[in-house]
Amino acid sequence: MAKAADIDVTPREPYRRAGARIVRVRTRELFDHAEGVLDTGDIEGVHDMRVASRRLRAVLEIFAPCFPQSEFKGVLRDVKQLADALGERRDPDVHIDALRTFSRSLVAANRHGVARMIEDLEERQARGNELLAAELERMQQRGLHGRLLALADAADTDPEPEPDPEPEAEPAA
Amino acid sequence: MKARKVPGLDPDAPLADNAERIVRVRLDELCGFMPLVADPEEIVALHDMRIAAKRLRYILEITGPCFGPYASTATKLTKDLQDALGEIHDCDVQVPEAERFAERLLTADAVALHAAAEDAEDLDPALLKQAPHARDHAGVAALQTHLRARRQVLFDRFLELWGTYERKGFRARLEYAIGERADVAAEPHR
Repeated sequence: MAKAADIDVTPREPYRRAGARIVRVRTRELFDHAEGVLDTGDIEGVHDMRVASRRLRAVLEIFAPCFPQSEFKGVLRDVKQLADALGERRDPDVHIDALRTFSRSLVAANRHGVARMIEDLEERQARGNELLAAELERMQQRGLHGRLLALADAADTDPEPEPDPEPEAEPAA
Repeated sequence: MKARKVPGLDPDAPLADNAERIVRVRLDELCGFMPLVADPEEIVALHDMRIAAKRLRYILEITGPCFGPYASTATKLTKDLQDALGEIHDCDVQVPEAERFAERLLTADAVALHAAAEDAEDLDPALLKQAPHARDHAGVAALQTHLRARRQVLFDRFLELWGTYERKGFRARLEYAIGERADVAAEPHR
């Protein structure tokens, strides 16, 4: 499994600046793992991208107050949806792997039923892959990468200074 | 499970002060599942505790270096706890899946035997050999047995693990650590 990058943080840096930096790193990690994710022959690819999506979702939730809320809600929803699609593909991968290991411990006569269950899960895996392919396409159409970076940029921008209060009108002489 | 809202977060305040507030709430959420989840039947609560552990782990992984040294230990302990709860959750998902699968095989075989009986007064047990899944039931039953027993083993291990955390003062030590601030000389590069 690909390890998430360590990100230096310091206690006194502003919460929103740390949020911006961390969201950029976790966004990059998510999209770095997108290549080859639909290959059912390599189950580690989808696992790495799923873990990256969970980490990204977690940092979005941790730094939620730092982002403009109107954009944030849509981005978080899309990241969750992508994570769900990755889960639909990943869950049967894990289950199939566990069943293959379990099957090796059985006497030959008992392996048929487990093999039948693996076939069933492979169908689910294929459906999960179709769902994931559609979700990856949708993610691209909705410009999720750019929207995530825009969120980070917004958190990194100094807030507008409060306007000076209007000077009180001179009392009439 | 929806995460509890953390009051008083301020984007312009120091990271550590905000993270401390979040960790306190997430830690309280996690510890709040005991003693309820000591009941092995509380599957939903156990699943929610796993989510709570995951939330605490992620905030600690990111902001742990801001705090006292025990935060780093707590990050690892929280990950171990999340892993233990995750393995139980896998069983809780797989047990009903295996049951449903077994039921599908039984139903399909019963339908096939009913058809094979044609106009017979009674079902000939010898027909069982012709059932489409006759060779499949034993393996699926073995799987169900294994999953149920494994769940019990993992649950016992989880209770032991939590007991160790309590004895070693996991909560109190983490609460203390997040009140400390790490001495970090340089600000990170932007």
